[in-house]
Amino acid sequence: MAGKSGRTISNVPEKSWKKTVLSWEGMLVLLIILINIFCASISPSYQLANVLREMPKYLTEVFLMLPMAYILILGEIDISVGATVCLSATMTCMVCNKDMPFIVVVLTALLVGTICGFINGMILTRFTELPPMIVTLGTQIVFRGIAEIALGSGGSISLSNTDGFRMIAGKAGMIPYILFVVLIFAVIFTLVLSKTTFGRSVYAIGSNRLAAYYSGIHVQNIRLIIYTAMGFMAGLAALFLTSVLYGANTTTGNGFELDAIAMAVFGGISTAGGKGKLQGGIISAFIIICLRIGLGQINMNPQLILIILGALLILAVLLPNIGGEVKLKKKTVSAK
Amino acid sequence: MKKKVLSVLLCVAMVGTLAVGCGSKDEGSDSKADAKTEDTQKDDAGDSGKKTYAIVTKAAGNPYNEKEAEGFQEVIEAEGGECIVKHPEAATADAQVSVIQSLISQGVDSIAIAANDENALQAALEEAMDAGIKVSCLDSKANADSRQTFVNQAGVTEIGQALMDAVLDITGGEGQWAILSATSQAANQNAWIDSMKEIMKDDKYSKLELVEVAYGDDEPQKSTDQTQALLSKYPDLKVICAPTTVGINAAAKVLQDEKSSVKLTGLGLPSEMAEYIGDDDAHSCPYMYLWNPIDVGRLGAYTSIALVDGTITGAAGDQFTAGDMGDYEVVEADDGGTEVILGAPFKFDPDNIGEWKDVY
Repeated sequence: MAGKSGRTISNVPEKSWKKTVLSWEGMLVLLIILINIFCASISPSYQLANVLREMPKYLTEVFLMLPMAYILILGEIDISVGATVCLSATMTCMVCNKDMPFIVVVLTALLVGTICGFINGMILTRFTELPPMIVTLGTQIVFRGIAEIALGSGGSISLSNTDGFRMIAGKAGMIPYILFVVLIFAVIFTLVLSKTTFGRSVYAIGSNRLAAYYSGIHVQNIRLIIYTAMGFMAGLAALFLTSVLYGANTTTGNGFELDAIAMAVFGGISTAGGKGKLQGGIISAFIIICLRIGLGQINMNPQLILIILGALLILAVLLPNIGGEVKLKKKTVSAK
Repeated sequence: MKKKVLSVLLCVAMVGTLAVGCGSKDEGSDSKADAKTEDTQKDDAGDSGKKTYAIVTKAAGNPYNEKEAEGFQEVIEAEGGECIVKHPEAATADAQVSVIQSLISQGVDSIAIAANDENALQAALEEAMDAGIKVSCLDSKANADSRQTFVNQAGVTEIGQALMDAVLDITGGEGQWAILSATSQAANQNAWIDSMKEIMKDDKYSKLELVEVAYGDDEPQKSTDQTQALLSKYPDLKVICAPTTVGINAAAKVLQDEKSSVKLTGLGLPSEMAEYIGDDDAHSCPYMYLWNPIDVGRLGAYTSIALVDGTITGAAGDQFTAGDMGDYEVVEADDGGTEVILGAPFKFDPDNIGEWKDVY
């Protein structure tokens, strides 16, 4: 790869084990070890089997974190995903209750999610001056509105036939299928972000959109693809969430977008764009899940758990800023 | 390339940690796991081990649920059991699923739950029952497949009838009225509303017009907004019926603050509603109903105990003694499951509110 043009690229950072251990991701690995030891010491029921059994519900949010990380690296935000999950889950249940074959049900979940994401992407790429937060706030209300109309006055729908969903909620030995699916997607998203031109373009757009544009990157195409992928993953999350809840209601997916953002930010991904690694987001997602399971098992007040998670999040964004202030100044280019 | 290796290593490390971190504890708790899976063994050792009874509320900060949990805890502790009170982090079914999962991990003996959604808890509660945990509902039920029995604070028709008669009485027999409910999917709310609608078909109520069912989601602010919206939308409105403690409290404040001529009834907590209950125009609520949530919790506790010690299985016809509360029988419920009915709702009016407001 190198040497093709006879040049050596000088700004590739030196890699050393010391640097790896001291990187944010290295810290997170250390933290997840500590958290697990901590949880195992406070709760006698914090065992592998129990943790894996409790995990599926929380894992649905990891699906959202993966594309959300891309969007954050772009320097943007999508707060409509919780509503997309709600709409997609609602439609999925409705189709399932029409006695369709299960493959159609699965496709519905993915398709509805993808369409929602595509709508976000279309609006944002056709009217590039609109702020993503406002647009996705609007679509959030629209998607949830459609879901609420579809749900009708009862506000909830339940599956009349749960066979297909029982299947995907199944386990291979002790490990729930959803964990495999999450890990597969985690690897795909990580490799695309760190190893491909597409991934590098995402960072370029996040660091300086105009410069990226003038260097020939198809900024709008990339944004459209990412928002559509966000919708697709929301559909996938809806599918698995339905397998946990056997239905959908007006509160389904409430706050998922913020949890996904929190996981990504805790993983060192900057909301200002252009910075962070998906590996960090994935590890931090598991840190948050383990902590929630562990603290839940000692029957800690749930509000206290939220406070702890909130405090950790603030600490997570504070630490690199204090440490990296000097480095940051050198790198700072205008964000927009 | 190194980066790829690194990321793979990170993932492996992460999963590895999970395995090691959790696995290391396995040996220590094996004895507990055995006791759970093999019921017979547990029975042999039953005298030594304290039974654990859990109650799951709808959300933290719901005073009604807190009173239930209080009654539940009091009975469980008096009977020598260990009580776990769990509040989900939000008033949603999702949040309750996490709580149930956590209780399964802890290996409790019974779960009594006030369900936030009738059907959404099925997967989690079935898993709990498969693990040998006795599942009952109180206050708000989960569907028949998700529970062994349900402690019903009052028969649905008894409540519907009491509320409809109150509306008929307060309106003077005719005029517009509205319902201010909690969330649109709360099972108990919907059952009462449906029952009121059913009762309203009777000729006696033909001059009453139900203009809207508004949903305040059991949030004070949203309930206040919904009340104000009702007042401005329907100038001829005579009565608001709020079968939820949060809703009635918010509505009472709005009506009394605005000196509105609209009157209020429904289901409310005496301590919160005392300042609004009165016969004159200065008070917004002539009278209201409720049962005693402490008693609901206590009956829930006796039901859990009876399920765990095998006195009842949750089948219709089973009988058990609920301490000083007397004898109860498990009966068929409308949804195909079974229930235990506490009794008819209790009326709070200006004469008795004084003594009840300090109780709960």
